[in-house]
Amino acid sequence: MTHTLYREGNRKNLSNDFILFAVPSRNHIPGTSKNLKKFFKILLKHHPINYGSMDIGNKYGVEKEEILAKIGDDSAIHAAFDNEKDFQSALKEVKEADLGISVIASGLMDRVYQLAQEIGIERHTVEYSLGIWGKIENLPDKKILEITTMCGHGMITEKIVKKLIEEVRSHKCTAKKAAEKLSANCHCGIFNTIRAEKLIKEIVLDKKYLFNS
Amino acid sequence: MKINEKCIGCGSCEPYCPMNAIRKTSNEKKYFIDLDECVECGICKEFSNCPKDAIENTDLDHTRSIRKEFSDPKAPHVSSTGTYGRGTAEMKTNEVTGLIRKGYTALSLEIGRPGMGAKFSDIEKITKKLAKKKVTFAPESPLTYLIQNQDTGEIKKDYLNEKVLSAIVEFVIKTDRLAEILKAIKEVSSEIDTVFSLCIAEKEQGNTDFPILKIAEKQGFKVSINGKTNMGLGRPLYKEEQ
Repeated sequence: MTHTLYREGNRKNLSNDFILFAVPSRNHIPGTSKNLKKFFKILLKHHPINYGSMDIGNKYGVEKEEILAKIGDDSAIHAAFDNEKDFQSALKEVKEADLGISVIASGLMDRVYQLAQEIGIERHTVEYSLGIWGKIENLPDKKILEITTMCGHGMITEKIVKKLIEEVRSHKCTAKKAAEKLSANCHCGIFNTIRAEKLIKEIVLDKKYLFNS
Repeated sequence: MKINEKCIGCGSCEPYCPMNAIRKTSNEKKYFIDLDECVECGICKEFSNCPKDAIENTDLDHTRSIRKEFSDPKAPHVSSTGTYGRGTAEMKTNEVTGLIRKGYTALSLEIGRPGMGAKFSDIEKITKKLAKKKVTFAPESPLTYLIQNQDTGEIKKDYLNEKVLSAIVEFVIKTDRLAEILKAIKEVSSEIDTVFSLCIAEKEQGNTDFPILKIAEKQGFKVSINGKTNMGLGRPLYKEEQ
Protein backbone atom coordinates (compact mmCIF):
# COMPACT_ATOMS: atom_id res chain seq x y z
CA MET A 1 0.00 0.00 0.00
CA THR A 2 2.09 2.87 -1.29
CA HIS A 3 -0.85 4.77 -2.72
CA THR A 4 0.26 8.26 -1.62
CA LEU A 5 3.94 7.90 -2.49
CA TYR A 6 4.64 8.11 -6.21
CA ARG A 7 3.21 11.52 -7.07
CA GLU A 8 5.04 12.94 -10.06
CA GLY A 9 5.87 16.62 -10.01
CA ASN A 10 8.44 19.31 -9.39
CA ARG A 11 9.24 21.29 -6.25
CA LYS A 12 7.00 24.16 -7.32
CA ASN A 13 3.84 22.21 -8.03
CA LEU A 14 4.35 19.79 -5.14
CA SER A 15 4.75 22.63 -2.67
CA ASN A 16 0.96 22.77 -2.21
CA ASP A 17 0.35 19.05 -1.98
CA PHE A 18 0.26 17.37 1.44
CA ILE A 19 -1.61 14.30 2.58
CA LEU A 20 -2.23 13.21 6.12
CA PHE A 21 -3.64 9.78 6.82
CA ALA A 22 -4.08 7.20 9.54
CA VAL A 23 -3.74 3.47 9.15
CA PRO A 24 -4.67 0.94 11.82
CA SER A 25 -2.04 -1.67 12.54
CA ARG A 26 -3.30 -5.17 11.91
CA ASN A 27 -2.46 -6.03 15.51
CA HIS A 28 -4.49 -3.11 16.83
CA ILE A 29 -7.83 -3.65 15.21
CA PRO A 30 -10.49 -4.04 17.96
CA GLY A 31 -11.95 -0.64 18.83
CA THR A 32 -9.72 1.33 16.46
CA SER A 33 -12.69 2.85 14.64
CA LYS A 34 -13.35 5.14 17.62
CA ASN A 35 -9.94 6.79 17.24
CA LEU A 36 -10.12 6.79 13.44
CA LYS A 37 -13.39 8.72 13.73
CA LYS A 38 -11.74 11.24 16.08
CA PHE A 39 -8.90 11.53 13.58
CA PHE A 40 -11.32 12.22 10.73
CA LYS A 41 -13.19 14.85 12.77
CA ILE A 42 -9.89 16.64 13.47
CA LEU A 43 -8.93 16.63 9.79
CA LEU A 44 -12.27 18.17 8.83
CA LYS A 45 -11.58 21.17 11.09
CA HIS A 46 -8.47 22.18 9.13
CA HIS A 47 -9.90 22.85 5.65
CA PRO A 48 -8.91 19.70 3.76
CA ILE A 49 -9.54 20.02 0.04
CA ASN A 50 -10.36 16.32 -0.23
CA TYR A 51 -10.83 13.38 2.13
CA GLY A 52 -12.02 9.81 2.18
CA SER A 53 -11.35 6.16 2.68
CA MET A 54 -10.63 3.39 0.20
CA ASP A 55 -13.54 1.24 1.38
CA ILE A 56 -16.08 4.08 1.70
CA GLY A 57 -15.39 6.79 -0.87
CA ASN A 58 -14.33 10.43 -1.00
CA LYS A 59 -15.56 14.00 -0.63
CA TYR A 60 -16.80 14.10 -4.22
CA GLY A 61 -18.96 11.00 -3.92
CA VAL A 62 -19.96 10.58 -0.29
CA GLU A 63 -21.17 13.04 2.37
CA LYS A 64 -18.75 13.49 5.27
CA GLU A 65 -21.41 12.32 7.73
CA GLU A 66 -21.70 9.05 5.82
CA ILE A 67 -17.92 8.59 5.77
CA LEU A 68 -17.82 9.20 9.52
CA ALA A 69 -20.61 6.71 10.17
CA LYS A 70 -19.01 4.00 8.04
CA ILE A 71 -15.47 4.19 9.41
CA GLY A 72 -14.55 0.71 10.60
CA ASP A 73 -11.69 -0.80 12.59
CA ASP A 74 -9.73 -1.48 9.39
CA SER A 75 -10.46 1.78 7.52
CA ALA A 76 -7.59 3.99 6.38
CA ILE A 77 -8.61 7.65 6.63
CA HIS A 78 -7.06 10.32 4.41
CA ALA A 79 -7.18 14.06 3.80
CA ALA A 80 -5.40 16.24 1.24
CA PHE A 81 -4.27 19.80 2.00
CA ASP A 82 -3.22 22.49 -0.44
CA ASN A 83 -1.10 24.52 1.97
CA GLU A 84 1.45 24.02 4.74
CA LYS A 85 -0.51 25.96 7.36
CA ASP A 86 -3.60 23.75 7.29
CA PHE A 87 -1.48 20.61 7.04
CA GLN A 88 0.61 21.59 10.06
CA SER A 89 -2.34 22.70 12.19
CA ALA A 90 -4.14 19.43 11.47
CA LEU A 91 -1.03 17.42 12.37
CA LYS A 92 -0.58 19.43 15.58
CA GLU A 93 -4.12 18.74 16.73
CA VAL A 94 -3.76 15.05 15.84
CA LYS A 95 -0.60 14.86 17.95
CA GLU A 96 -2.30 16.59 20.88
CA ALA A 97 -5.26 14.20 20.67
CA ASP A 98 -2.81 11.33 21.35
CA LEU A 99 -4.92 8.78 19.51
CA GLY A 100 -2.23 6.08 19.54
CA ILE A 101 -2.73 5.18 15.88
CA SER A 102 -0.18 5.40 13.09
CA VAL A 103 -0.25 8.74 11.28
CA ILE A 104 1.59 9.23 8.01
CA ALA A 105 2.30 12.34 5.96
CA SER A 106 3.08 12.52 2.26
CA GLY A 107 4.68 15.54 0.66
CA LEU A 108 8.00 17.25 0.03
CA MET A 109 10.29 15.45 2.46
CA ASP A 110 12.24 18.46 3.70
CA ARG A 111 9.10 20.52 4.26
CA VAL A 112 7.26 17.70 6.07
CA TYR A 113 10.35 17.23 8.25
CA GLN A 114 10.53 20.90 9.17
CA LEU A 115 6.79 21.34 9.70
CA ALA A 116 6.75 18.31 12.00
CA GLN A 117 9.81 19.49 13.94
CA GLU A 118 8.20 22.89 14.55
CA ILE A 119 5.35 21.22 16.44
CA GLY A 120 7.56 18.79 18.33
CA ILE A 121 7.18 15.67 16.21
CA GLU A 122 10.24 13.53 15.55
CA ARG A 123 9.58 11.35 12.54
CA HIS A 124 9.88 7.59 12.94
CA THR A 125 10.36 6.13 9.46
CA VAL A 126 10.82 7.61 6.00
CA GLU A 127 10.04 6.25 2.56
CA TYR A 128 11.46 7.58 -0.70
CA SER A 129 10.58 6.78 -4.30
CA LEU A 130 13.44 5.69 -6.54
CA GLY A 131 11.42 6.33 -9.66
CA ILE A 132 9.75 4.35 -12.40
CA TRP A 133 11.62 1.52 -14.11
CA GLY A 134 11.02 -0.81 -17.04
CA LYS A 135 9.24 0.18 -20.25
CA ILE A 136 9.07 3.86 -19.36
CA GLU A 137 8.91 4.79 -23.05
CA ASN A 138 5.26 3.60 -22.98
CA LEU A 139 4.26 5.97 -20.18
CA PRO A 140 2.09 9.06 -20.78
CA ASP A 141 3.65 12.52 -20.98
CA LYS A 142 5.11 13.72 -17.67
CA LYS A 143 2.53 16.52 -17.33
CA ILE A 144 -0.30 13.98 -17.64
CA LEU A 145 1.44 11.74 -15.11
CA GLU A 146 1.50 14.62 -12.64
CA ILE A 147 -2.30 14.41 -12.66
CA THR A 148 -2.88 10.65 -12.97
CA THR A 149 -0.39 9.72 -10.22
CA MET A 150 -2.39 11.69 -7.67
CA CYS A 151 -4.56 8.57 -7.48
CA GLY A 152 -2.23 5.82 -6.31
CA HIS A 153 -4.58 3.03 -7.30
CA GLY A 154 -4.54 4.00 -10.99
CA MET A 155 -8.22 4.91 -11.16
CA ILE A 156 -7.57 8.06 -13.20
CA THR A 157 -6.68 7.22 -16.77
CA GLU A 158 -4.57 9.10 -19.26
CA LYS A 159 -7.47 9.13 -21.74
CA ILE A 160 -10.00 10.66 -19.36
CA VAL A 161 -7.51 13.36 -18.35
CA LYS A 162 -6.90 14.23 -22.01
CA LYS A 163 -10.63 14.20 -22.78
CA LEU A 164 -11.36 16.62 -19.94
CA ILE A 165 -8.44 18.87 -20.92
CA GLU A 166 -9.95 19.18 -24.39
CA GLU A 167 -13.35 19.97 -22.85
CA VAL A 168 -11.73 22.76 -20.82
CA ARG A 169 -9.93 24.02 -23.92
CA SER A 170 -13.20 24.16 -25.84
CA HIS A 171 -14.99 25.85 -22.90
CA LYS A 172 -17.37 22.93 -22.32
CA CYS A 173 -16.08 22.60 -18.78
CA THR A 174 -14.02 24.66 -16.32
CA ALA A 175 -10.64 23.45 -15.04
CA LYS A 176 -12.13 23.33 -11.54
CA LYS A 177 -15.01 21.13 -12.66
CA ALA A 178 -12.63 18.88 -14.61
CA ALA A 179 -10.45 18.42 -11.51
CA GLU A 180 -13.50 17.55 -9.43
CA LYS A 181 -14.70 15.05 -12.03
CA LEU A 182 -11.33 13.34 -11.94
CA SER A 183 -11.34 13.33 -8.18
CA ALA A 184 -14.51 11.24 -8.06
CA ASN A 185 -12.56 8.22 -9.38
CA CYS A 186 -10.03 8.28 -6.52
CA HIS A 187 -11.83 6.46 -3.68
CA CYS A 188 -9.29 7.32 -0.97
CA GLY A 189 -9.75 11.09 -1.28
CA ILE A 190 -6.05 11.82 -1.82
CA PHE A 191 -6.49 13.47 -5.23
CA ASN A 192 -5.51 17.11 -4.83
CA THR A 193 -8.20 18.99 -6.77
CA ILE A 194 -6.55 22.40 -6.37
CA ARG A 195 -3.22 21.16 -7.74
CA ALA A 196 -5.03 19.30 -10.54
CA GLU A 197 -6.93 22.46 -11.50
CA LYS A 198 -3.67 24.40 -11.78
CA LEU A 199 -2.01 21.64 -13.81
CA ILE A 200 -4.99 21.44 -16.17
CA LYS A 201 -4.88 25.21 -16.72
CA GLU A 202 -1.15 25.02 -17.50
CA ILE A 203 -1.68 22.21 -20.00
CA VAL A 204 -4.60 23.96 -21.68
CA LEU A 205 -2.47 27.03 -22.26
CA ASP A 206 0.37 25.01 -23.76
CA LYS A 207 -0.14 24.42 -27.49
CA LYS A 208 2.16 21.39 -27.25
CA TYR A 209 -0.73 19.47 -25.70
CA LEU A 210 -3.46 19.18 -28.33
CA PHE A 211 -5.03 15.81 -27.79
CA ASN A 212 -7.74 15.83 -30.47
CA SER A 213 -5.40 16.59 -33.34
CA MET B 1 -16.71 -6.88 -16.88
CA LYS B 2 -19.00 -7.06 -19.88
CA ILE B 3 -20.85 -4.61 -22.12
CA ASN B 4 -24.24 -6.05 -22.96
CA GLU B 5 -26.63 -5.69 -25.91
CA LYS B 6 -28.08 -2.43 -24.53
CA CYS B 7 -24.92 -0.59 -25.71
CA ILE B 8 -25.74 2.20 -28.16
CA GLY B 9 -22.12 2.83 -29.15
CA CYS B 10 -21.84 6.29 -27.57
CA GLY B 11 -18.31 5.52 -26.34
CA SER B 12 -18.69 7.30 -23.01
CA CYS B 13 -17.06 4.34 -21.22
CA GLU B 14 -14.05 4.01 -23.51
CA PRO B 15 -11.69 6.64 -21.96
CA TYR B 16 -12.32 5.33 -18.45
CA CYS B 17 -10.56 2.02 -19.03
CA PRO B 18 -6.97 2.14 -17.71
CA MET B 19 -6.01 -0.86 -19.85
CA ASN B 20 -7.60 0.40 -23.12
CA ALA B 21 -9.64 -2.80 -23.10
CA ILE B 22 -12.88 -1.19 -24.30
CA ARG B 23 -12.99 -1.49 -28.07
CA LYS B 24 -15.44 -1.00 -30.92
CA THR B 25 -17.05 -4.08 -32.46
CA SER B 26 -16.08 -4.92 -36.06
CA ASN B 27 -19.18 -3.15 -37.44
CA GLU B 28 -18.23 -0.09 -35.29
CA LYS B 29 -21.75 0.15 -33.87
CA LYS B 30 -21.16 -0.99 -30.31
CA TYR B 31 -18.38 -1.45 -27.79
CA PHE B 32 -17.07 -4.61 -26.15
CA ILE B 33 -14.50 -5.41 -23.45
CA ASP B 34 -11.38 -7.37 -24.38
CA LEU B 35 -11.29 -9.80 -21.47
CA ASP B 36 -7.58 -10.56 -21.88
CA GLU B 37 -6.78 -6.91 -21.17
CA CYS B 38 -9.58 -6.11 -18.67
CA VAL B 39 -8.33 -6.13 -15.06
CA GLU B 40 -11.84 -6.07 -13.50
CA CYS B 41 -11.17 -2.74 -11.77
CA GLY B 42 -14.79 -1.67 -12.34
CA ILE B 43 -13.99 1.96 -13.21
CA CYS B 44 -16.05 1.77 -16.42
CA LYS B 45 -19.18 0.65 -14.61
CA GLU B 46 -18.80 2.95 -11.63
CA PHE B 47 -17.77 6.23 -13.25
CA SER B 48 -18.52 6.40 -16.97
CA ASN B 49 -22.25 7.08 -16.56
CA CYS B 50 -23.33 4.68 -19.28
CA PRO B 51 -26.67 6.10 -20.49
CA LYS B 52 -28.08 2.59 -20.96
CA ASP B 53 -26.51 0.95 -17.92
CA ALA B 54 -25.00 -1.56 -20.32
CA ILE B 55 -21.88 -2.41 -18.30
CA GLU B 56 -22.18 -5.49 -16.12
CA ASN B 57 -20.11 -7.34 -13.59
CA THR B 58 -19.66 -10.98 -14.54
CA ASP B 59 -19.06 -14.07 -12.44
CA LEU B 60 -15.33 -14.51 -11.89
CA ASP B 61 -13.73 -17.90 -11.37
CA HIS B 62 -10.99 -18.32 -8.73
CA THR B 63 -8.16 -17.31 -11.07
CA ARG B 64 -9.90 -14.36 -12.70
CA SER B 65 -11.09 -13.01 -9.33
CA ILE B 66 -7.42 -12.21 -8.64
CA ARG B 67 -7.70 -9.46 -11.26
CA LYS B 68 -10.42 -7.73 -9.25
CA GLU B 69 -8.68 -8.17 -5.90
CA PHE B 70 -5.49 -6.51 -7.18
CA SER B 71 -7.20 -3.82 -9.31
CA ASP B 72 -10.39 -2.65 -7.61
CA PRO B 73 -9.52 -0.75 -4.39
CA LYS B 74 -12.99 -1.50 -3.03
CA ALA B 75 -12.50 -5.25 -3.39
CA PRO B 76 -10.77 -7.01 -0.48
CA HIS B 77 -8.31 -9.84 -1.07
CA VAL B 78 -10.79 -12.59 -0.29
CA SER B 79 -8.43 -15.20 -1.77
CA SER B 80 -5.66 -14.42 0.68
CA THR B 81 -5.31 -11.74 3.37
CA GLY B 82 -8.85 -10.37 3.46
CA THR B 83 -7.38 -6.86 3.38
CA TYR B 84 -7.90 -3.95 0.98
CA GLY B 85 -5.19 -2.44 -1.22
CA ARG B 86 -2.35 -4.09 -3.08
CA GLY B 87 0.28 -4.60 -0.43
CA THR B 88 0.84 -4.51 3.31
CA ALA B 89 0.82 -1.71 5.86
CA GLU B 90 4.67 -1.71 5.47
CA MET B 91 6.33 1.45 6.90
CA LYS B 92 3.01 3.09 7.66
CA THR B 93 2.65 1.25 10.96
CA ASN B 94 6.36 0.70 11.59
CA GLU B 95 6.37 2.43 14.98
CA VAL B 96 3.73 -0.08 16.10
CA THR B 97 5.00 -3.28 14.46
CA GLY B 98 8.77 -2.77 14.32
CA LEU B 99 8.86 -4.23 10.82
CA ILE B 100 11.85 -2.11 9.78
CA ARG B 101 14.51 -1.97 12.52
CA LYS B 102 17.79 -0.09 12.70
CA GLY B 103 20.21 -1.50 10.15
CA TYR B 104 17.44 -2.76 7.88
CA THR B 105 15.84 -1.38 4.72
CA ALA B 106 12.40 -2.13 3.31
CA LEU B 107 11.95 -2.26 -0.46
CA SER B 108 8.78 -2.27 -2.49
CA LEU B 109 8.29 -2.70 -6.23
CA GLU B 110 4.78 -1.93 -7.45
CA ILE B 111 4.68 -3.71 -10.78
CA GLY B 112 2.36 -2.22 -13.40
CA ARG B 113 2.26 1.20 -11.74
CA PRO B 114 1.69 3.84 -12.97
CA GLY B 115 -1.30 2.89 -15.08
CA MET B 116 0.21 0.24 -17.29
CA GLY B 117 -0.87 -2.98 -15.60
CA ALA B 118 1.09 -6.21 -15.41
CA LYS B 119 0.66 -9.90 -16.15
CA PHE B 120 1.80 -12.32 -13.48
CA SER B 121 4.21 -13.78 -16.03
CA ASP B 122 6.08 -10.45 -15.87
CA ILE B 123 5.70 -10.20 -12.11
CA GLU B 124 7.27 -13.66 -11.88
CA LYS B 125 10.40 -12.47 -13.68
CA ILE B 126 10.92 -10.07 -10.79
CA THR B 127 10.06 -12.52 -7.99
CA LYS B 128 12.42 -15.11 -9.55
CA LYS B 129 15.25 -12.60 -9.77
CA LEU B 130 14.78 -11.54 -6.15
CA ALA B 131 14.40 -15.13 -4.92
CA LYS B 132 17.83 -15.85 -6.39
CA LYS B 133 19.08 -13.09 -4.10
CA LYS B 134 17.51 -14.93 -1.15
CA VAL B 135 15.09 -12.20 -0.14
CA THR B 136 12.14 -13.15 2.09
CA PHE B 137 8.90 -11.90 0.57
CA ALA B 138 6.59 -10.08 3.02
CA PRO B 139 4.37 -12.81 4.50
CA GLU B 140 1.32 -10.53 4.84
CA SER B 141 1.39 -9.39 1.22
CA PRO B 142 -1.39 -10.68 -1.08
CA LEU B 143 1.22 -11.31 -3.77
CA THR B 144 3.23 -13.61 -1.50
CA TYR B 145 0.20 -15.94 -1.33
CA LEU B 146 0.49 -16.45 -5.09
CA ILE B 147 4.16 -17.41 -4.97
CA GLN B 148 4.26 -21.19 -5.15
CA ASN B 149 7.90 -21.58 -4.20
CA GLN B 150 9.52 -18.92 -2.01
CA ASP B 151 13.00 -20.25 -2.83
CA THR B 152 12.60 -19.88 -6.60
CA GLY B 153 10.02 -17.06 -6.77
CA GLU B 154 7.77 -19.13 -9.04
CA ILE B 155 4.16 -17.98 -9.13
CA LYS B 156 1.34 -20.54 -9.22
CA LYS B 157 0.93 -21.51 -12.87
CA ASP B 158 -2.85 -20.92 -12.93
CA TYR B 159 -2.26 -17.19 -12.46
CA LEU B 160 0.54 -16.49 -14.92
CA ASN B 161 -1.80 -15.23 -17.68
CA GLU B 162 -3.87 -13.08 -15.35
CA LYS B 163 -3.42 -9.32 -15.60
CA VAL B 164 -3.80 -6.75 -12.81
CA LEU B 165 -3.52 -2.97 -12.52
CA SER B 166 -0.57 -3.48 -10.19
CA ALA B 167 0.86 -5.87 -7.61
CA ILE B 168 3.48 -5.16 -4.98
CA VAL B 169 6.60 -7.17 -4.20
CA GLU B 170 7.74 -6.25 -0.68
CA PHE B 171 10.62 -7.38 1.52
CA VAL B 172 13.05 -6.22 4.19
CA ILE B 173 16.82 -6.73 3.92
CA LYS B 174 19.87 -5.84 5.94
CA THR B 175 20.99 -2.44 4.71
CA ASP B 176 24.44 -3.76 3.86
CA ARG B 177 22.80 -5.76 1.03
CA LEU B 178 21.00 -2.76 -0.50
CA ALA B 179 23.51 -2.06 -3.29
CA GLU B 180 23.49 -5.70 -4.40
CA ILE B 181 19.68 -5.87 -4.43
CA LEU B 182 19.27 -2.56 -6.27
CA LYS B 183 21.68 -3.79 -8.92
CA ALA B 184 19.54 -6.91 -9.43
CA ILE B 185 16.37 -4.77 -9.64
CA LYS B 186 17.97 -2.59 -12.27
CA GLU B 187 18.92 -5.66 -14.29
CA VAL B 188 15.44 -7.17 -14.24
CA SER B 189 13.85 -3.84 -15.23
CA SER B 190 15.05 -4.38 -18.79
CA GLU B 191 13.53 -7.87 -18.95
CA ILE B 192 9.88 -6.99 -18.35
CA ASP B 193 7.14 -5.75 -20.66
CA THR B 194 5.73 -3.22 -18.21
CA VAL B 195 6.89 -0.69 -15.61
CA PHE B 196 7.29 -0.69 -11.85
CA SER B 197 7.55 2.03 -9.23
CA LEU B 198 10.28 1.42 -6.70
CA CYS B 199 10.74 2.71 -3.16
CA ILE B 200 12.92 2.22 -0.11
CA ALA B 201 12.14 2.88 3.55
CA GLU B 202 14.27 3.22 6.63
CA LYS B 203 13.78 3.95 10.31
CA GLU B 204 14.85 7.44 11.44
CA GLN B 205 18.50 7.40 12.49
CA GLY B 206 18.49 10.70 14.35
CA ASN B 207 19.65 12.83 11.44
CA THR B 208 18.49 13.86 8.00
CA ASP B 209 21.35 12.25 6.16
CA PHE B 210 19.95 8.80 5.38
CA PRO B 211 22.72 6.43 4.29
CA ILE B 212 20.34 4.41 2.10
CA LEU B 213 19.80 7.41 -0.15
CA LYS B 214 23.52 7.68 -0.87
CA ILE B 215 23.65 3.95 -1.65
CA ALA B 216 20.72 4.31 -4.06
CA GLU B 217 22.26 7.32 -5.79
CA LYS B 218 25.56 5.51 -6.16
CA GLN B 219 23.69 2.71 -7.93
CA GLY B 220 22.20 5.21 -10.42
CA PHE B 221 18.77 5.73 -8.84
CA LYS B 222 17.33 9.21 -8.52
CA VAL B 223 15.79 9.82 -5.11
CA SER B 224 12.47 11.69 -5.11
CA ILE B 225 12.02 15.05 -3.41
CA ASN B 226 8.63 13.96 -2.09
CA GLY B 227 7.88 10.90 -0.05
CA LYS B 228 6.17 9.44 2.95
CA THR B 229 6.90 10.02 6.63
CA ASN B 230 5.65 7.95 9.54
CA MET B 231 5.13 10.44 12.37
CA GLY B 232 5.67 7.90 15.15
CA LEU B 233 2.35 8.61 16.88
CA GLY B 234 1.19 4.97 17.18
CA ARG B 235 1.65 2.90 20.33
CA PRO B 236 4.61 0.52 19.93
CA LEU B 237 3.95 -3.20 20.33
CA TYR B 238 7.64 -4.10 20.16
CA LYS B 239 10.99 -3.17 21.68
CA GLU B 240 13.92 -2.29 19.42
CA GLU B 241 16.19 -4.86 21.10
CA GLN B 242 13.71 -7.73 20.47
